[in-house]
Amino acid sequence: MTVEVSSLKELVEQASGTSGSPDTQEYFVNMGPQHPSTHGVLRLVLKLDGERVLRCIPVLGYIHRSIEKISEHMNYMNCVHLTDRMDYLSSIMNNWAVAKAVEEAAGIEVNDRIRYIRTIFAELERIQSHQLWWGVLGMDLGAFTPFLYGIRDREVLNDVMEETIGARLTMNYVLPGGLMADIHPNFVNRVKEFIKYFRPKLDEYDDLLTNNVIIQERLRNVGVLSAQTAVQYGATGPVLRGSGVAFDLRKDHPYGVYDQVDFEVPVGTVGDSWDRYWVRVEEMRQSLRIVEQLLDNIPPGDFLVKKLNSKIKLPEGRYYSQLETARGILGVFITSDKKDEPYRLHYRSPNFNNLWCLEPMIKGDYIASLIGAMSSLDLVIPDIDR
Amino acid sequence: MGIVTDKLPGALEKVPGGNVLVTRFDEIINWARANSLWPLTFGTSCCAIEMLMATGGPRHDMARFGAEVARPSPRQADLLILAGTIVKRMAPRLRTLYEQMAEPRYVIATGACTISGGPFIYHSYTTVRGADEIIPVDVYVPGCPPRPEQLFHGLLTLQKMIKEGETIREPGVRRKPVISALPEGVTMEDIQGEMKELLVKENVVDVHQAVDKLKWPSGTNDGS
Repeated sequence: MTVEVSSLKELVEQASGTSGSPDTQEYFVNMGPQHPSTHGVLRLVLKLDGERVLRCIPVLGYIHRSIEKISEHMNYMNCVHLTDRMDYLSSIMNNWAVAKAVEEAAGIEVNDRIRYIRTIFAELERIQSHQLWWGVLGMDLGAFTPFLYGIRDREVLNDVMEETIGARLTMNYVLPGGLMADIHPNFVNRVKEFIKYFRPKLDEYDDLLTNNVIIQERLRNVGVLSAQTAVQYGATGPVLRGSGVAFDLRKDHPYGVYDQVDFEVPVGTVGDSWDRYWVRVEEMRQSLRIVEQLLDNIPPGDFLVKKLNSKIKLPEGRYYSQLETARGILGVFITSDKKDEPYRLHYRSPNFNNLWCLEPMIKGDYIASLIGAMSSLDLVIPDIDR
Repeated sequence: MGIVTDKLPGALEKVPGGNVLVTRFDEIINWARANSLWPLTFGTSCCAIEMLMATGGPRHDMARFGAEVARPSPRQADLLILAGTIVKRMAPRLRTLYEQMAEPRYVIATGACTISGGPFIYHSYTTVRGADEIIPVDVYVPGCPPRPEQLFHGLLTLQKMIKEGETIREPGVRRKPVISALPEGVTMEDIQGEMKELLVKENVVDVHQAVDKLKWPSGTNDGS
């Protein structure tokens, strides 16, 4: 595999210099940074021939907030809250990733209660994230109704989580060494109510969108990503599993209490947008299954194993820890030099790698297919730029 | 003309000779502007989920305030809700977006990032410390991210400002920017009560009273 390195300026010059056939002319179009279906401020430079996309070059940096650099001036407890703002739709899982890295480095063992509650909340957050994605996918394809359905059910789940955590979006619930607070006394009952409420709603989702002919026509055989390409580009999460690679950290390298629960990893076959759609809808069902199994067995114990003060110092060395968020693998790489602040803190964010799959997926296809394919990737732009 | 003069007292005045002179036309214009704010779909990060998606959803329905018509093009929008951090690379684009919007245009800065830089204020080499360094801001809504109810309070504040502020005689003259945080002692119930009161006050017309107020010339009534 050869890698071509060329600047944007060179590409534009190449295109303007091409003669081509007199009937068609290749030209460049900027999509973004302010565009409703790029889900934020992603800029795509599209090289078009008529309506065909010849090249699709993502240009980043419009929401680069230098989170990694700020983290070098913060202690390990404070690093956690910035991860909320990276992938804001899976904030608890982001918190957990940092907490897991710090706990592994400092040699802290958390008790079973903390592991159970973290797993339950991670799965609830996964459902919440997929609900929003489902609604937005409908909106991107021109149907506004799914958005209303998705947000409606998301608010129900939001209320349940808000009762314990106190925030709606940037939750900051998982700390190194435990949790911010114990679960609310009503929590178990309300989650049970939610599961009872949401199971039939998933069938309603199927009736509304999944079995819709237009949606199937626009997603099937669009944006095909082969398993080999997906692995080469480092795609993870539903994007990788949609391409037929059954790799899920929850199954393959279990953390939390995922080794004690029974669930399946949905895997696609073709690798088109439809498979990614189906994998995510199926994941919502599996997440409900996981939560259902854990709810009744939350063991008693403390919600905080060890109250870490802000001066926690990690031994010198490099530590890497990773877990599966709603979009793929989030890795945390800490380089410590015995101080209370990290020497370097790097995040391997899932969206960054998933984004680059866009070009091999969409090459030669129509520009309208690009919108559906990009929506099936479920990108969160602040996580790409950090 | 009876209903108009009763419903909008002072907007129209009768002058000798039977003609009508419009004296307070800008009040009507401001009333119309305040109740049909069209926001631009512009969200950079986390706040966009709360400000544009949750508020557009069925529970916190932004359509109640006439501001649900989100436009992707700045040419058609007149309210810019800044949802999310503004970084240095985005700053020129934001300025362009603002200048592409047609007058009158209003800006609500939501979240800590657009007010001051928020969590990214120290040691960040890219964040713009407050969006008001780039474009003028009318209302600040603090929070990280603010709840949808807070945005609605900000929106009501902006509507109040528009209704009282700019006139066609003095275009471009605005009030100073205000913070739409809840002051001490004020609860959401108070605001909801006020909203309900305003809605009732503005939209409910008692038909019987309105008929009583109509002064018919004595000769036209058939019954007597």
